[in-house]
Amino acid sequence: MSRRSFLDWLADTFHLRDVPFMGVPDYMFNIEYWLGAIATAALAWQALTGLILLLYYQPSNAYDSTMAIIHTVPFGSILLSSHLYGAYVMIFAVYAHGLEVFFRGAHKRPRGAQWVLGVLLFAMTLGVSFVGYSLTGDVLSVDAVGVGKGILTALGLSGIIPVFFGNGTQLDLFTRFLGWHIILAGAIILFFALHFYLAEQNGFMPDPKEVGYKAPAMLRRDDPRIKPWWPRNFTFMLAIVLLTWGIILLIPSILAIPQVLDKVPILFSPYPGPSPTSPQASSVPAYPPWFFLFMYKMADMPFGLATDIVMGIFIPLIVLLVVPALDRGDLLHPLDRPWVTALFIMGLTWVIELSVWGAIQPGVPVEPVWFVLTIIPPVIISFGGMYAIRRLWVKVRGRVVGLAGNDASSKAGFRLSKDVAIVLGYLTSIVAIVAIAVSFTLNPISNGPYVGMMWGTALISLAASLLTYFYTEYL
Amino acid sequence: MVMASGGIVNEGRRNFLRAMVTVAGLSVVVGMLRGLEVLMPPEISVSGFPRLLLVDENGNPIKASSIPVNGKQIALFPYPLSNEPNMLLNLGDEGGRPVEVPPTTVVVPQNGVSYEFPGGVGPSRSIVAYSAICQHLGCTFPEMTFYPPGVKAITVNGPMDKVIHCSCHGSTYDPYRGGAVVTGPTVRPLPAVVLEWDQATDELYAVKMIGPVIYGHPGFDTPTQDTVKNPTGDLQGGTPAGTTNTVVKYYSNPAL
Repeated sequence: MSRRSFLDWLADTFHLRDVPFMGVPDYMFNIEYWLGAIATAALAWQALTGLILLLYYQPSNAYDSTMAIIHTVPFGSILLSSHLYGAYVMIFAVYAHGLEVFFRGAHKRPRGAQWVLGVLLFAMTLGVSFVGYSLTGDVLSVDAVGVGKGILTALGLSGIIPVFFGNGTQLDLFTRFLGWHIILAGAIILFFALHFYLAEQNGFMPDPKEVGYKAPAMLRRDDPRIKPWWPRNFTFMLAIVLLTWGIILLIPSILAIPQVLDKVPILFSPYPGPSPTSPQASSVPAYPPWFFLFMYKMADMPFGLATDIVMGIFIPLIVLLVVPALDRGDLLHPLDRPWVTALFIMGLTWVIELSVWGAIQPGVPVEPVWFVLTIIPPVIISFGGMYAIRRLWVKVRGRVVGLAGNDASSKAGFRLSKDVAIVLGYLTSIVAIVAIAVSFTLNPISNGPYVGMMWGTALISLAASLLTYFYTEYL
Repeated sequence: MVMASGGIVNEGRRNFLRAMVTVAGLSVVVGMLRGLEVLMPPEISVSGFPRLLLVDENGNPIKASSIPVNGKQIALFPYPLSNEPNMLLNLGDEGGRPVEVPPTTVVVPQNGVSYEFPGGVGPSRSIVAYSAICQHLGCTFPEMTFYPPGVKAITVNGPMDKVIHCSCHGSTYDPYRGGAVVTGPTVRPLPAVVLEWDQATDELYAVKMIGPVIYGHPGFDTPTQDTVKNPTGDLQGGTPAGTTNTVVKYYSNPAL
């Protein structure tokens, strides 16, 4: 078989069988264990598209050069809108990854440092997104800069405004933003490398059932279920990357179709808003990007901006950083560490609640009574609910955790027949080929959104067919 | 190989799937390699100098008689491309009265070629516009700005007012004489925007450029007898400033 020998040749030439990455047991080939990989795939897309955007972006001409990328550069609309949605997907994946890690207790020893690095990566991801969002020079960017300066002033840090926002000229503002955007992106890549190195060295967190929900949850290196990284992990990783990139291309391309674009709220528009000097600008409320809406609503709270910001940014960040110190016990199950779990549920509720509120009433000052009515109930419900569930949990804990001794794969659920999987693989391969064929008939400037849809469809279909291949070949 | 509960699939079908995935993968790679065209900068040039109405940020036309004489603020507008800022000046004397700017012949010291500057426009024939990008090394406003009567710039010829002076390296130009070179290090005059004044409506139009090509655009450092009369290099290397109008924005003058 020439194919097989090609793969062997590849593995021999690049010593792929010797790469120092950890292989995993079969049950880890599940999206639940690959949320960090999705964030990383999005990061890779951001680096790739960001470097190409660097060829076109002009800090001296921020808004016009951004719009020129959309309207005049071949494939430019895809490049810019997928860079935006790549950031959205990355933020989403970082949230999902962090919550998954927390609820599984994966931040417990020996992985505390991984958690702290992860929280810093989360903060830097939001930071780099804020700067990137502001680079377009549209009306929202101008609003965001105003809010950013206001926050620094309120905190008594107006002296360092020039560090981030420059000496007051537009040219210096956007030159600095571009610089900070790249510096932060570089820092994220460095911190990611360390985060990933620790993940490899500490080993992946096994299913907590395997270790009886007790830290340290370790997967033994000599576990017979672990199979080598090449080619199984590589194939699965490739499929995850293609899937992520496909989603990053498909969603903004659908939103950018002219008939759809008019109906997309500005918070989710794949393109920049109107120019700050255009007449339309006055009709756009001062919105931050959607992932900052919760902070923006916090800034409307009736305690003065400085207190609002400390409550909305610094306290949550510090709490996240010290989670490994707050949550020191060895028990992994979220119901065995009720108060920290309740704290997380409460925080998550606040974030969602404040974000929705911020989208509906951006910048509207909050009356103290409304503060009480929105902030207090999640406290009572989270902690009260946790207390009630705890009372039930102590009765059944022995049975639930006791079952954990069994092998994780014993939960026999639905399994796709391999014959069906193979047919799905044929079909998705054909869809990918057809989508690419269609993309060749489309103009890269005037039909940008349709090209993006075809590419996104092709990547997602290819990922699907690669997954069916993985399934029939390796599972 | 022992399979999990998914069952065993025959070799032929598995090989066919492998072939399909490979073909799909290759076509995606080929299809997306087409995306490398993104690296090819778009050929953007305007086919000729556009006639653009000067408007304020709300889209209302600028009235020539309302432009402040020797204004404390510098009015900038892009023309013909959005990365080509120009200064709009209403020149006056020490008393703040508008001064007529007569047509004149401007010489390029670099190689001696010359062109006719058409003079000022407006009710007092005192309104002129020049590129706000210095011809020496491309410094722009606010480094290069207008020094009105009574406000002296420090030049190699001593303190001078009524000049456009670039504080980067000291190039000085005379806005009252078509942007001619007063002191180096520049060896080329400032490109001028040819303006048109509509007497009936008091509105101003930018209609073309004259003089060397704007700094940084194709051919800017090699002026010829032909290009100084029709500097088409200005039309390349950017996006058009506008289709029917161009926006004038006011900035405080750092010289004051």
